[in-house]
Amino acid sequence: MSSLLARLGGGNEWRLTAWVAGVFAVLLGLGMAAGYLHAGRTDPIDAPRLKALKLELQARPQDEALKQQIRALDLVLRETYFTRLSRTSTGLYLLLGAVTLFLIANGRIANGRKRLPVLKAGVPGLPPPENKGWSRWAVAGTGAALAVFLFLLSLGFTSALPGDAEALEALFGPAPTDAPVMDAASPEEMRQNWPRLFGANAGLAFSSQAPSSWDTNSGAGIAWKVPAPAPGFNSPIVWGDRAYFSGGPPEKLEVLCVNLADGQVAWRQTVADVAGTPKGDLEIPESTGYTAPTMATDGRRVYAIFANGNVAAYSLDGSHVWTKAFGALGNPYGHAISLATWQDRLVVQLDQGDSEDGKSKLYLLNGRTGEIVWQKPRKVGASWTTPVVFEAADKSQVAALAVPWVISYDLKDGSELWRVDCLNGEVTPSPIFVGGLLLITSPSDRVVAIRPDGQGDVTKTHMAWENDDNVPDVTTPASNGELMFSVTTGGTLTCLEVKTGTKVWEHEMDMDYHASPTISGNRVYLFSQSGVAVIVEAGREFKELFRTGMGDSFHATPAFTADHRMVVRGMSYLWCLKGAANEVQSP
Amino acid sequence: MSHVRTPAVAAPGRNIRPAHRGLWALTMVLFLLGGAALFAEPRFPPPDFESGHVLPETTTPPARAVWLEYLDIAVLAGGLIAATYFIYRKRSRTGLVALSIGSILYFGFWKKGCVCAIGSVQNVTLALFDSGYALPVGALAFFVLPLAFAVMWGRSFCAGICPHGALQDLVLLKPLKVPAWLEQGLGILPYIYLGAGVLFAATGSAFIICQYDPFIPIFRMNGRVAMVVAGIALLLLGVFVGRPYCRFLCPFGALLKIGSVVSKWRVRVTPDYCTQCRLCEASCPFGAMRLPSPGKAADAAAQAADRRRLLIAVVLLPVLIGAGAWLGWAFAGPASRMHPTVVVAEQLLRAQDQPPRTGVLTPEDRELDRVRQNPRQTLTEAMGIRRQFNIGTPIFGGWVGLVIAIKLLSLALHRRRTDYEPDRGDCFSCARCFEYCPNELVRRGVLPASAIPPMNPAPAPQVPAPAPFTVAASACGCAGKEGA
Amino acid sequence: MNPTDSKTNPGQVNRRQFLRDGGRATAVASLGGLLGMVLGRSQAEGYVWQIDPSKCVYCGNCATHCVLEQSAVKCVHAYAMCGYCQLCTGYFEPEPNALNTGAENCQCPTAAIQRTYVEDPYYEYTIDEDLCIGCAKCVDGCTRFGNGSLFLQIRHDRCVNCNECAISKVCAGDAFVRVPASQPYLLKTQH
Repeated sequence: MSSLLARLGGGNEWRLTAWVAGVFAVLLGLGMAAGYLHAGRTDPIDAPRLKALKLELQARPQDEALKQQIRALDLVLRETYFTRLSRTSTGLYLLLGAVTLFLIANGRIANGRKRLPVLKAGVPGLPPPENKGWSRWAVAGTGAALAVFLFLLSLGFTSALPGDAEALEALFGPAPTDAPVMDAASPEEMRQNWPRLFGANAGLAFSSQAPSSWDTNSGAGIAWKVPAPAPGFNSPIVWGDRAYFSGGPPEKLEVLCVNLADGQVAWRQTVADVAGTPKGDLEIPESTGYTAPTMATDGRRVYAIFANGNVAAYSLDGSHVWTKAFGALGNPYGHAISLATWQDRLVVQLDQGDSEDGKSKLYLLNGRTGEIVWQKPRKVGASWTTPVVFEAADKSQVAALAVPWVISYDLKDGSELWRVDCLNGEVTPSPIFVGGLLLITSPSDRVVAIRPDGQGDVTKTHMAWENDDNVPDVTTPASNGELMFSVTTGGTLTCLEVKTGTKVWEHEMDMDYHASPTISGNRVYLFSQSGVAVIVEAGREFKELFRTGMGDSFHATPAFTADHRMVVRGMSYLWCLKGAANEVQSP
Repeated sequence: MSHVRTPAVAAPGRNIRPAHRGLWALTMVLFLLGGAALFAEPRFPPPDFESGHVLPETTTPPARAVWLEYLDIAVLAGGLIAATYFIYRKRSRTGLVALSIGSILYFGFWKKGCVCAIGSVQNVTLALFDSGYALPVGALAFFVLPLAFAVMWGRSFCAGICPHGALQDLVLLKPLKVPAWLEQGLGILPYIYLGAGVLFAATGSAFIICQYDPFIPIFRMNGRVAMVVAGIALLLLGVFVGRPYCRFLCPFGALLKIGSVVSKWRVRVTPDYCTQCRLCEASCPFGAMRLPSPGKAADAAAQAADRRRLLIAVVLLPVLIGAGAWLGWAFAGPASRMHPTVVVAEQLLRAQDQPPRTGVLTPEDRELDRVRQNPRQTLTEAMGIRRQFNIGTPIFGGWVGLVIAIKLLSLALHRRRTDYEPDRGDCFSCARCFEYCPNELVRRGVLPASAIPPMNPAPAPQVPAPAPFTVAASACGCAGKEGA
Repeated sequence: MNPTDSKTNPGQVNRRQFLRDGGRATAVASLGGLLGMVLGRSQAEGYVWQIDPSKCVYCGNCATHCVLEQSAVKCVHAYAMCGYCQLCTGYFEPEPNALNTGAENCQCPTAAIQRTYVEDPYYEYTIDEDLCIGCAKCVDGCTRFGNGSLFLQIRHDRCVNCNECAISKVCAGDAFVRVPASQPYLLKTQH
């Protein structure tokens, strides 16, 4: 024995080590392979014998011996399976160790033997020329083999898959034609309604005859007033004869639909059971809450987003269409960016965290399914402004704001069209699109007008004007196309010329505002936090037309209907005010 | 861990909840009637426990932390810098071996070989073609950094950072010479594999490069049997044939090869000048050593023949691309079956007239049940994928033709070489050849500078005197424990 | 042979150098271009694979197609949704012989579900993940006949996060999705 070892080792302990490790590895490997072949896949999942026994038991339910047999077999099966698992794992580690040892030993032996070549005298100085002929044939051969392989694979290929839309129709009949190509309301319908925060037209109502006066005490001019159906800071939207908004405490977030006829809740849906909803406390301050973002509609479905990153879509009559969880959104005040729609698509701007976090994104979702049409990472931090959708320079654009950039994207594919560096602070007032200009409010800093037909960084080239008089910090300006009205939180009302940005007038209201101004006809509506409503003339000189205390507190921007009413959401009540024209219609 | 079920003893609380009486009958009827419709309300309202029982928390073990991904990138970058330093500055094989072992441990066994540079090709491709897929920065770094290094310094990544390469390099015990024709013939496979990987990744069908990776199962010590066997077989082959996967399969190696062909710096056998001693001629186990051209006369004769071949190859180029594209076009249908949606759509059409299966459902039955909900959508998707393949496979076929044509072109190109030097593309920068060079031994102080002939200003290739090399050989050989 | 030798044909050397420089410039430019194209689509946070429980059809492929011998997919229990039934349709075979823990009554092939008595008539069911192989038999029973509180999830302490999940390609429900690594679970919840 010792002589055999000596011969194998050749007097060298590394040689011996290599032999032992090598033989051990080979034997172990063979043993494991044999074990594997012998056992096959002894999954306990499909155990035919166990199944058969269980079937037998159904025929003889009282057979105790059979039960014992099943239990014994079950135990054996499970033990075999888990023993095999642990054995395989141990075996692999041993094998790895043995192979490593073998390699180390061999390396040592090779080191010991290393001998670099020695040239003999008289060998010709240069090597013979290479013969590349064989190489050429080998390349050609590989290519030919591959070609034959592909050819054989494609031989006799048949597929039942229809080749084009016509063949598909032949199989399943024509595609349902009642589904329009674009499943959304027309731009004209959108203009007549109030499909999003600030409506479809920069805070200007379709009707020019919205209420001019009302009286809380006598009820004159008030269609109805109901206690707020659900708490929340978001503003109502209007489609047809219904208003929609979201609300509720964090544990019961709801989408509500109210009949404009009587103020009764037509339907309310709790947004629950969304897979991926973040768990635990999201530390969202109560002053913002989970329902700060305003809903949006494309005239076929209504959409809501909540501060926990859940987005929900319901049909106009309240049936569930889809829900989607984007996960917790990093935002010190809670997510507050409202939704916007374009055709049957939903724009979701999720700006969050810091610009370095790389978490901010702009999404375009398919409104019918909730699928992501495109998404665009944004290298910006948290923001609170609502994106604005508009048509300019022959493109459907959406402009999204976050410090320091105003960036416009092509809605078709999400490609970036242009950007302007003009924002400071915590951007909250939203952009509006008026008279071919995009009016951007950098809070308490300046209002900037941008011509939206540029490409790339157009900071230096496409700013039409800027104005730093009484710039609002929370509310969004409203415009009738000629003049723009803005109000600061502290109550300074300012009127600017849209074309030039020159200040026309300013007036101190001495009230605090969170609700943005809105316009109908020649009236600008202002609803203060202290519950006072004021109407001023939308003209070149300041003129107060109406003032009334309403015994409520307003943070939400009102919504207007095509038939001259307006829906106002107070903290205590939901109001519907009717215009003078409504009085005539309903004698 | 107990493998034993608790013995069958009647548990306390013998009463069955009333709601459960006849439950099976009821639910089976419901199931047969209306399928497994999910009720909005829970069927069995969660109880209010009188005993104050607290519900256990559903645990959620976290995924790998993001900072670890940055650590991977840092290790990769640091490793590439170290490898380049060992190759160019230290000229140290020992350093590269140490790096290889570190890489096998970190990128191999610790990170389980995923995500690796080889697979990252597919991630980048998918990011280009699928706007819904956001590319993780880690995958991007694994794709870009090795290539960026290759363009500057050659294949530093292959030398000691890639765990796949390192593994093969360390098992290479008895290198055999692969004949040049076989080397060239199989050398086009990586490009074709790359093309196929890109094709299937771009169409969202499969990541075939990952699916058929032979070494990942070894790093995981777990995997499909076929791939485990393939991995072990390839490693056994690797004992005799240097880096078989790298040379004849690796698709990322193909990219690195292209990069290193145009690299700014290159690996040289000698740290100083070539004495044409021929000692390094057989030093390369990967067939990457290129020898000096034979004398001027032989050169001129070969040149004329090569010109003719070059012309043929140029003419062949469009022919081969066209033929490849045609073959690829014919191959579009079968190739599209790599996409699961196409497969299930065809199954759906085959099973269209049959009623849904009942009883014990196989996974395939359940899948069919799912797509039956909206067959039009599945078929439309499958048709879209088939269309993508109708475009993609001819391009793939054309690419194969192009690869063959360029290979033939390069074989017909005549290069005049004066020194022994590693091929820019084929060299893995493994540093094995360095110590074969007497000039290197002078640099390391093993030989005196006087032991080798001085740089000869006259271009007269003559056999150098053999004497110094005997010295060189014994200088190396003396390190061994064994006598000659 | 030596540097002077290569000067014998300076034109050729220059041309080759020029081609190489041009090639390198092209390579760098195309690499940069590619980088520019995908950089906008890249993000720091990685993805992990997860099962969307609303799409899962509990076909059983998770047990057999994971690259790991014992699948990284495990049954997970949303206790808040559980009815704590005495006759658990996930735990027991259809038409069990008796409502006890004898092997002849149990569905789970590896005895990974533990049944413990809480109070009359409620029982708690917990999963031993070391034993669970993700075969989804219990999920099938619980979802089709019970509250659906048992569901499959990829457990990230076991998952090796393959670049492309092997199960995702055979998933009968098309339920495998890439999710952000910071939110790696799609748990079932009920308010």
